[in-house]
Amino acid sequence: MPFKTFAKGLAAGLLAAVAATAALADYPEKPVTMIIPLGAGGSHDLNARVIASVLPTYLGQPVIVQLMPGSAGQIGTSAAAEAPADGYTILFTQNFIDQLQQHVAELPYDPNEAFVAVARTNFAAPSVIVRSDSEFATMDALLASAKADPGAMTFGHSGNWGAFMVPGAMMFNAAGTMPTLVPHKGGGPAMQALLAGDVDVSLAFDSVIASQGDAVRPLLTLDREAHYEGVPTAAEAGLEGLEDTSIMHRVVLVHRDTPPEALDKLRAAFVAMQEDKTYQKLLSSLGENAAFMGGAEYEPVRAAQGEAYGTLVRTLTGQ
Amino acid sequence: MWAELFSGLEMVLRPDTVAMTAAGLLLGIAVGSLPGFTTVMAMAVLLPISFFLDPLVGIPFLIGVYKGGIYGGSIPAILIGVPGTGASVATTYDGPALARKGKSKKALEMALYASVFGDTASSLLTILMIGPIALVAMRIGPPELAVVLAAAMAIIAVTASGPARKGILMLGLGCFVALVGQDPVHGVNRFTFDLFALQAGIDLLPLIIGLFAIPEILLAVEGKPKATPVARPEGESLTMAELRASGRTILRSTAIGAGIGAIPGVGQVVAAFMGYAAARRAARDPSTFGHGDLDGVAAPEAANNAVNGPTMVPLLTLGIPGDNVTAILLGAFVAQGLRPGPQLFATDAATIYALLFSMVIACILLLVLGRLTIPLFAKVVAIPRAYMVPLTLVFAVAGTYVYRSNPMDLVVLMGFGLFGYAARKMAFDVTPMVMGFLLIGPFEYAVSQTLSLSRGDLVGYVVAERPVTLILLALIAAGLAFIALRRRGPRTPVQT
Repeated sequence: MPFKTFAKGLAAGLLAAVAATAALADYPEKPVTMIIPLGAGGSHDLNARVIASVLPTYLGQPVIVQLMPGSAGQIGTSAAAEAPADGYTILFTQNFIDQLQQHVAELPYDPNEAFVAVARTNFAAPSVIVRSDSEFATMDALLASAKADPGAMTFGHSGNWGAFMVPGAMMFNAAGTMPTLVPHKGGGPAMQALLAGDVDVSLAFDSVIASQGDAVRPLLTLDREAHYEGVPTAAEAGLEGLEDTSIMHRVVLVHRDTPPEALDKLRAAFVAMQEDKTYQKLLSSLGENAAFMGGAEYEPVRAAQGEAYGTLVRTLTGQ
Repeated sequence: MWAELFSGLEMVLRPDTVAMTAAGLLLGIAVGSLPGFTTVMAMAVLLPISFFLDPLVGIPFLIGVYKGGIYGGSIPAILIGVPGTGASVATTYDGPALARKGKSKKALEMALYASVFGDTASSLLTILMIGPIALVAMRIGPPELAVVLAAAMAIIAVTASGPARKGILMLGLGCFVALVGQDPVHGVNRFTFDLFALQAGIDLLPLIIGLFAIPEILLAVEGKPKATPVARPEGESLTMAELRASGRTILRSTAIGAGIGAIPGVGQVVAAFMGYAAARRAARDPSTFGHGDLDGVAAPEAANNAVNGPTMVPLLTLGIPGDNVTAILLGAFVAQGLRPGPQLFATDAATIYALLFSMVIACILLLVLGRLTIPLFAKVVAIPRAYMVPLTLVFAVAGTYVYRSNPMDLVVLMGFGLFGYAARKMAFDVTPMVMGFLLIGPFEYAVSQTLSLSRGDLVGYVVAERPVTLILLALIAAGLAFIALRRRGPRTPVQT
C-alpha cells in the first residue's frame, strides 16, 4: 500500500520536524538539571550550590542540583550520558572523574563520545605538604629520600584515582620514583593522617593549608604560578608537563548530541555569569578562584588529560 | 579559656540567632519526618541561605536544621515504623509497638526528652573537654579504627536478641550484602554480575526501609483489624515517674553516644544500636524490649544525639569534617571566611565557643518546639488503618526513590522487605545484619590502609608504632570475655 507508506513517512517526517523545531525554539523552556556525580557537602557540592543560585539569572530558567554519588562518579556520569541530548541535563564534574575513570573501569559510556565541554568554571591547584616538624625542609630533600628508599616513604592521598592521588603519583613518577601510596576517604582524613604522623607527605589545597597555620609546610605547588614565597612550582623543580593534568578542573559537560543552539546558549550563559558580582563574591569566600575557560577552549585540554591519565594508569598498574 | 567561653556565650544570645535557629529546627523536623529526605539533603539545599547571613545566624540556622532533622527522623520511626534516617532505625523496635498500644504520645515525648538530654549533655561535655577529645580523635588512625569496628560488630552479634549463632549468621549476611559493588579501595567489581546498576553497591536507606518498614506493613496487613475506636488514640502524656524510670537508660546511652562520637568514622547509627543493646542487657526484664518498652525508645534516641557534640571536635579544632553533616557545616564556615582549624582556634576561640553554645541553644529550642508539635504528629495514629497501611507503603517507596533517584533501589527495597518479613517470622534479629552492612566497608578500608602503612610487616608495625591499638585489643578482649561470662551466668543451673 503505497499511500499508507507515504502517509507514515509523511507523519514521521512531520513529527521529526516538529520535535526538532520544538527543541530549537526557545531553549531553555524548562528547568535545567545539573547532575553532580559526588556526594553532599564536598567542595564540588559547594561550587554547584553557587552556580545553581546564580546561573538561572543568565539562563532564564531554574537550575536543579541533583546529587548522584557512587562508584567514583560513574553513577552520576552514566545517568547524564543516558539522559536525552536536549540540553536539559548538564553534568558538573571534574577532570579525574571525566578523563581518568575510562582507564580504570568498565564504563557503560565513552566520556569523549558522550560529552562535550560547556565550560571550565575554575580550577584548584594542590601543593605538596609535610608536617612542620618533618625532616624534609625542601622538595629536593623529599625527592632524594623517596628515590633512596621509595617504599619507606608514605604518601597519604584522598582516595584511589582521586584529586590528590593522581597529581601526587604523576609528580613522583615525573621525578622517577614512587612512594607507598596510602588511600584515605577524602581530603580531611588524609590531612588528619598527615598531622597524626601516620603518613610522611600529602597534598592539599591552599585554603586548607591556610587553616592549618604553622602545622604544615608546603614544599611544591602543582600550578603554573607560585602560591607561596620560596616554594617552587612543578616546572621550577624540573618536573615538566604537569600543569594541565595535575590540577583539578571543575567542568560542566553536556551530551555531545545536544542541538548546537542549546549548547551555544549554555556556553554563553556561563560566560555571562563570570561578570556577576554575587558569583565572584561567593566563589572568593569559598576560597575558589574564578579562572574560567570556555568549553571549546577546554576540549583539547580534556583530550590531553585523557592521554596522560592513560599513561599514568599503565605505569602504576604495570600493564 | 573562661573569658573566651563567656564572650562566646554573649555572642550567640541575640534574638536573630535564636529566631533563625528555631526556623531551622522547624524545617529540620519537617524534612526529617519525611522518609528518604535526609538531614544532609536538607542542609545541602539550605546551605546557600547561610551564605547571605551573618556567621552567627547562618551557622546556627544550619545547626537547627541538623538537630531538627535527627529528631524528625524518629517521628515516622515511632508512628509508622518507617525509619526516616539511619540513626532512627533502632527506634523502630519499640516505637511502633508503643504506638499500637495507644502510647504514641508517650513514645514521642520520650524520644524528644532523651534526644534533648543526650544532645545537651554531650554538647556541654564537648565545650568543657574540647582539648582532650581532640587528642583522642587524633590517636585514632586506621589500625585503631579497624579494631574498634571489629569490636562493634562482635558486640552487636553477641548481644542481639536470640542465640549468638543467629546473630553471627546475620552479621555475615550483612557483610556480604555490603560487598556488592565496586570495592572502595581499588575499584574492583564484586558480585555485580556485570550489572552496572549494582556497581554503586546497595545503599543503606533502601536496605533499612526494606528491612524495617516493609515487614511492619506486611504484618499490619496480616493482623485482624480491631474495631474498637478509642476516644484518644494517641494516649496520655509521659508522666514524671516514667521519665525518671528511664533516667538511668538515658544517662548510659548518653555516655555511650558521646564515647562513640569521639571516635571519628563510627557515627550515630552504631551509637543508637549500641545504646539499645546496652539498655536491653541492663534491663531487669529484657523480654519487654521490642514489645513497646519506653526504655527502648529512650536508649537509641539519647545515644544517637549524644554523638553530635564530640563529632564537631575534629571539625572545629583541625578543620577536618568527620561526616557529611560536618562537611556541610565546614562549607558554611568557609563561605563566611571562617576556616576552622588550629589557626581559627588560636585567633578566634570565642567564635568557636559561640557556635558550640548555639548547639546548646538549639537543643533547648528543640525541647520547646518538640513539645508544641508532638500533639499534631501524635494525631497520625488516629488515621484508620485502611488508609494508614497503604500510605505507609507509599512513604516507604517514595522515600526510597527520592533519596537518589535510582530505580535499582526500589528492587533492593522490595527484596530486603520480603527478606525482613521472613526473618521476623523465623525470629532472626536483623540488627546484626545492618551493623555488618554498615561497618564492613569502613573496616575493610581501615585494614587495607593499615596493610599499606605496615608495608608487609603487620605485627611489627602494630607492636612498634601503634601502642593504642594494642591497648584497645586488650580492652576489647576483656570486654567480650565479660559479656560471654555474663551470658553464660544465668543459664547455669543453680547448685543447691
